[in-house]
Amino acid sequence: MKRILALVKKEFIHLRNDWWLPAFMLIGGMMELVLVAWATSRPITNLPLVVVDYDRSAASRAFVQALENTGTFDFQGYAPDEESVRQALTRGEINTAVIIPPDYSLQIHDPRGQAQVAVLLNGAESIPATEARRAIEGVAYALNQKLVIERLGLPADEFSSFAFSMRVWFNETLKDAYYTTPAEFGLMLEFTALLFAALAFTRERELGTLEQLLVMPFSSADLIIGKAIPVVIIGYSDFLLMLLLLRYIFKLPIRGSLLLLLIVAFGYLLVELSKGLVISVVARTQHQAFLLVMLVGMTDFMFTGYAAPVEGMPLAFQWLANFIPAHHWLTILRGILLKGAGLDVLWPNLLALAVLGAVITFFSLRYVRRVLD
Amino acid sequence: MDDRPQTNPTTSTNSTNPTNATNEPMNPALQVTSLTKRFGDFTAVDHISFEVQRGEIFGFLGPNGAGKTTTIRMILGLLAPDEGEIEVLGQDVRKDPAGIRPRVGYMSQRFSLYNDLTVLQNLRFYGRAYGLSNRRLEERIAAALELADLKGREHIKTGELSGGWRQRLALGAAILHQPEVIFLDEPTAGVDPVSRRAFWDLLYRLIQQGVTIFVTTHYMDEAEHCHRLAFIQRGRIIALGSPSEIKAQKMSGQILEIACQNPSQAMQVLLNAQKQQLLPVTDIELYGAMIHIVTPQPKAAGERIAALLSENHIALESIQTIEPTLEDVFIAAMSA
Repeated sequence: MKRILALVKKEFIHLRNDWWLPAFMLIGGMMELVLVAWATSRPITNLPLVVVDYDRSAASRAFVQALENTGTFDFQGYAPDEESVRQALTRGEINTAVIIPPDYSLQIHDPRGQAQVAVLLNGAESIPATEARRAIEGVAYALNQKLVIERLGLPADEFSSFAFSMRVWFNETLKDAYYTTPAEFGLMLEFTALLFAALAFTRERELGTLEQLLVMPFSSADLIIGKAIPVVIIGYSDFLLMLLLLRYIFKLPIRGSLLLLLIVAFGYLLVELSKGLVISVVARTQHQAFLLVMLVGMTDFMFTGYAAPVEGMPLAFQWLANFIPAHHWLTILRGILLKGAGLDVLWPNLLALAVLGAVITFFSLRYVRRVLD
Repeated sequence: MDDRPQTNPTTSTNSTNPTNATNEPMNPALQVTSLTKRFGDFTAVDHISFEVQRGEIFGFLGPNGAGKTTTIRMILGLLAPDEGEIEVLGQDVRKDPAGIRPRVGYMSQRFSLYNDLTVLQNLRFYGRAYGLSNRRLEERIAAALELADLKGREHIKTGELSGGWRQRLALGAAILHQPEVIFLDEPTAGVDPVSRRAFWDLLYRLIQQGVTIFVTTHYMDEAEHCHRLAFIQRGRIIALGSPSEIKAQKMSGQILEIACQNPSQAMQVLLNAQKQQLLPVTDIELYGAMIHIVTPQPKAAGERIAALLSENHIALESIQTIEPTLEDVFIAAMSA
């Protein structure tokens, strides 16, 4: 016990001397969260739009007006020709261009006419492009409906057709921030624990002091516990700070049991910690350890459903996801934060995380002990 | 520097050690039997056997890559041997590698302290790791600081100390828990000659306190300071004993030291004569501006050499029989 304390004390002196690392662990995670939360907190608006209007009629101006009214676009003005539009798109100055042909109003007013507009989108930035497409389709759909009714000679205000009512649960306004922020939050805990633990023994090995530690009367369990305690303290503090930040600055709801969240987070931290310790005895240098952390972390990242939903992946990957602790962790995290889910709903994930975690932790620590012995 | 010990302890020192007398019959500090380690096809350590008595400085010599560090790592239980027995202070290291740790100290080849910790922080960590009580810790730290001459520098970051100081601090840390045996792996590598000298003075002070020292080095001049030594080459011990024993065993002949004008031309002449078997010598080496010749018949050889040199118009300045250095012995042993 006294020996472990000596080791922990030494680790904290290192952390104080090399403050960059703990600062990165604590502040870095929060900064990342702030950036993600802000960047995704607003719906996409003000996409630069340019129009080439060869028609210059009331009808064509009405179409542009309708686009502006969606709020998605920031109308930059009219361009003289398609060539200038092409250049502006290539340079990335605009995201959307609409080209209205000379016969647009003619075709609109002709009961048999087919009015056309061309839309150019910058697909290199797929998310704004998708947003622009949705907005334009909406405008086109409304216009189309109006035209059809007019051409059928029906009174527009008496007309009613199919309507549906949609309600979004758990994230009522479909804020992207509600989806991305918990994911980022969960991942930051993983990366903090993994990276910090991965440096535990690698650093000593690189400095040449590991051999000395091994000759001292520390048991391998002493060494593991002594190295783990600072990781747990820093990692969990990081988690709590990020949770406070989300709750009070970004007003993210915690609808489920806070206690359950705190317990699961702690367990998950231990799982990632033991993975990190394996990296730290496998890697010869801190550089290697860092690269291994990136490799493991990015693989987990793929299965968290952050970048792309797991449900959309090939079946083999969906099956594999069941064996990734990070996948269950994020499911539980989202469940508790947004859905107010409790044990009754989350138990399969909790059980999976507990079993996987126990297995991974057991074999990791056994491996680390073997290497240290 | 007034209490500088004898620099060439050629006698067995078991009886001179005061602590030995007070203890019951003791196991040797270290007993290695037929120790072997292979890395794939390469045999790094090949059936070596030796014994280290308590209270002596045992030198483990050899060129880089001869197997010194591998041996020390096996003795400390950091590396599992393929064959052989190791007993440290009577305890079987292979059975229980952790068992001896509280009783031994180790200073590894690479600097073994934390550069970002202060002198005091490093010593405290060492002491606490060995479970010293607070009071004893402070006493031992004071003694270590005194030994390493680091008083007043307790709060300096270890990384800011010069090489010689750091070496002494590492030694102070290694003996903080008063180990019975300390293992030093190339402790003076890369340290300037003055600091090396001071470091060896510290080692003599330690054996006066009854500590046994096992030290590896590739400096031949340091070998002369050891009570006994083993010379290891390509994983095998090729000479074992006190420096004078080794000289007697391994030197089949005496050494003539020749000073003359144009020694390189003289070398040519002598080597040619040796080839044509006109000279009763076994080895000819250029030694600075001198030529060292190993011969079983110093008188006859000396006369032949004087004649040869004058035939070739090389002025001979002096020719005399000298005591062989260990370096002479090892070069002779290695080329044998």
